[in-house]
Amino acid sequence: MQRKDLLTEPVKHFRINSKLSVNQLIQQFQNSGSFGAGRLAVACDIYEKMARDKDCTIFLGLAGALVPAGMRSLIADLIRGGLINVVVSTGANMVHDSIEALGGHHYKGHWLMDDHVLYRYHVYRIYDVLVPEEDFVNLDYKMTAIYDDIADQSKGKTLSSCDFARELGKRLEDPDSILRAAYESNVPVFLPAVRDSELGYVHFLHSTRRKLAKKPPLLLDAFSDVAEIIGICRKSKKMGMIILGGGVPRNTIQSAALATKSGLDYAVVITMDRAETGGLSGSTLEETVSWGKVKGQASTVTVYGDAMIIFPIMAASLIERLDKNHKRPRPKNMEKLA
Amino acid sequence: MKHKIENKNEHCGNCGSHNAHQYPQKSFCMHRFLQGQTPIVDTLWRCEDWHQSEQECQCIEDAEKGARKRA
Repeated sequence: MQRKDLLTEPVKHFRINSKLSVNQLIQQFQNSGSFGAGRLAVACDIYEKMARDKDCTIFLGLAGALVPAGMRSLIADLIRGGLINVVVSTGANMVHDSIEALGGHHYKGHWLMDDHVLYRYHVYRIYDVLVPEEDFVNLDYKMTAIYDDIADQSKGKTLSSCDFARELGKRLEDPDSILRAAYESNVPVFLPAVRDSELGYVHFLHSTRRKLAKKPPLLLDAFSDVAEIIGICRKSKKMGMIILGGGVPRNTIQSAALATKSGLDYAVVITMDRAETGGLSGSTLEETVSWGKVKGQASTVTVYGDAMIIFPIMAASLIERLDKNHKRPRPKNMEKLA
Repeated sequence: MKHKIENKNEHCGNCGSHNAHQYPQKSFCMHRFLQGQTPIVDTLWRCEDWHQSEQECQCIEDAEKGARKRA
């Protein structure tokens, strides 16, 4: 390498005008190629590559309170558009999806609110989002009846978290619901840490009441998810993941990709976690290559920022790049699952 | 609800089993729900299973204000 090879592409400075679209702004970020703007532009390109690759199964990993903050309808729309093929989520995000599907709401608050006052008024705070306790109670009440119905219908059969999510989606009528959109689109939703959420508490309520009524409770087998998600990976010619946050959902997707011994072909991670602590959420995608979870030649980028800002921009840019009313066909392996 | 116990200091709204339901008039009693009984109760009611809540909330004060307004 010579010195001149290092200095080939000058940074182009932003030019903003009143008609600039989201994707045009991303192109400007690409022309800059620098810092977070450059990483976001690469992330948009990788998502476009995944979307245009007919053989790619697109996994979305969802961790952190994204649904309470307003990400719900966007994810439901992307599922319906075929731009997400498999969802792996924390239980909590599906709890908040269900809260809204059952008539509840999340409210704008502030990060400096007096939490003693909130406690006295039975209002819960998620940073600057508020949830009234009655919406959780309404969820507990209605969801217990839904669990009863699922337990009656399944007649002692043990469900995976994916089966369970499908059964919930079948019973939620709200078209903006992620669970409903996934059910209607036959998109699997894995909830690997389902008990670590209000869905776990609802199971306590349901099973206590079923015991009194001398009826068997809803049975979930967390391990059966492993075979299911590995099965999807095995049938996938190519795999891509978009990670919002990290945590258990990221590990679930990466471990399934590792189990197939093929690794992911595309990976976009949006996180604010750091690598130095050794935690998975902040681990670099380079490190992931060492495990074989991501291919050495894969298209990858980590965007360090708030997923609430980054991911809607990526989605808006992608939709602008695709044809109008674009609906991505299901990858061939996913057709077999239908 | 027919076994209402008159005690202005002990209500569902300061019982350890209560949650907000239709704040402030109605509370949701997890204890009753688990027992298969009607869980939605008047905040100013109480039953024989009443036990003191560990932390105070506004339920009774606001329910009483509401009751005075309606009267």
